[in-house]
Amino acid sequence: MKHFNLKDWKVHLMCIVIVVIAELIGNFKYANGLLSFTLFPMLYALVIGAIFFGVKIIDQKMMETASPYIGISVTLLTVKVGSTIGPNLEQVIKAGPALLLQELGNLGPILFSMPIAIFVFNMGREAVGACFSISREGSLAVIGDLYGLDSAEGRGVMGAYVTGTLLGTIFNSLMSSAALASGLFHPFSLAMACGTGSASMMTAALAPLVEKFAAQPEMVTQMQAYAAGSQILTGVDGLYINLFVAIPFTNWFYKKLKRMRNPNITEAELLPVKKVK
Amino acid sequence: MEKWATRIKVLFFAALFASLGNTINTWVTHNRSATPAKVIIYMPWDVWPALALMVAICMLGLVITDWVEKKWPKADLPSILFISMIAIIVGLPGVSPLANFMKVEFAKIGLLPLCTPILSYAGISIGKDLPAFKKQGIAIVTVALFTFIGTFIASAIIAEIALRATGQI
Repeated sequence: MKHFNLKDWKVHLMCIVIVVIAELIGNFKYANGLLSFTLFPMLYALVIGAIFFGVKIIDQKMMETASPYIGISVTLLTVKVGSTIGPNLEQVIKAGPALLLQELGNLGPILFSMPIAIFVFNMGREAVGACFSISREGSLAVIGDLYGLDSAEGRGVMGAYVTGTLLGTIFNSLMSSAALASGLFHPFSLAMACGTGSASMMTAALAPLVEKFAAQPEMVTQMQAYAAGSQILTGVDGLYINLFVAIPFTNWFYKKLKRMRNPNITEAELLPVKKVK
Repeated sequence: MEKWATRIKVLFFAALFASLGNTINTWVTHNRSATPAKVIIYMPWDVWPALALMVAICMLGLVITDWVEKKWPKADLPSILFISMIAIIVGLPGVSPLANFMKVEFAKIGLLPLCTPILSYAGISIGKDLPAFKKQGIAIVTVALFTFIGTFIASAIIAEIALRATGQI
């Protein structure tokens, strides 16, 4: 028992203080014309941390103590995300090849965004965190577990998470409107594309489709079923696609593009700084 | 042993703080809701069974991770793999005797209130990352938006091909 101690009590006290303040503020809904988003207490927790650092309530030692605690506590999130998989597993097996194949679409963004990250912004390993997925809660768990949220990869995924929270709904809504107007896709395909793993983004992306076909209720029902099916599937396989396909592919692509940009770059510069265990 | 002392301590505090946060969260939501009767306020101890199971799964997953790492150091498998697999098995209806317990109890603790203590620890250590955030902020935001476009378009293209191939449209 000699290893148990509470020398770090300040960090835990700070944690509960931040939790209480953040939760008391509560969800903040903003809606003004097209722009609408909801801010969650978990985001305030980051901001409060930054403010406390600014006014020097949090010192260097506390920061260093808290750093490994992120990786340990994030395992709770993994359990919660994983617990939703079991009850849906049967449905996914029945879903058929179309829905399953469509899951690979979640790898598409890496091909889009990584070149921009490297050639336009010359980003470091933040790019890996920001590019490998649409950065929702499950992605936080994956990066938190592999690299820690206070690593370069962690900054990438957290920055992208905040972006998604603020702009994700409006962005998805505009995107599905534009894709529908383009006439290139069948509405069912677009409905399936709406299920990307975030409930709020799915609802936002589906809204223009539902509106357009409001006169055909059976069409709407079918579109909702496609979106929900794809959404559940992403919930089930997202974790493993991220872990075994998206992260390795993103790392490989990152190295490849970095070498293209700078042939003299050393292997050490391309690797993660630290690995959490 | 020191590693385990820290793990147990942090999991305990994170779970405890999540249960308190969850109470405040449901209370605040209840008070602001247009239909308060529909929002149940959960007391901290209401979610302790769920959190106890969560912590148990985490610990079991970490034990397996440590064991695998000792046995096959080269495999380099992350703990998230084992923890999520245990969570899936425990939640499998018809296979796990705990499946129903998990479904009922886990619903009482929200995903977001569970995230708040984790992000609080992240917030405490965020100070050292602020300069990097400032430097890369615009890049991260832009890249994130392109990730959304990419995901949507790629999913739509594959869906279109798959639905046509299977004759559904």
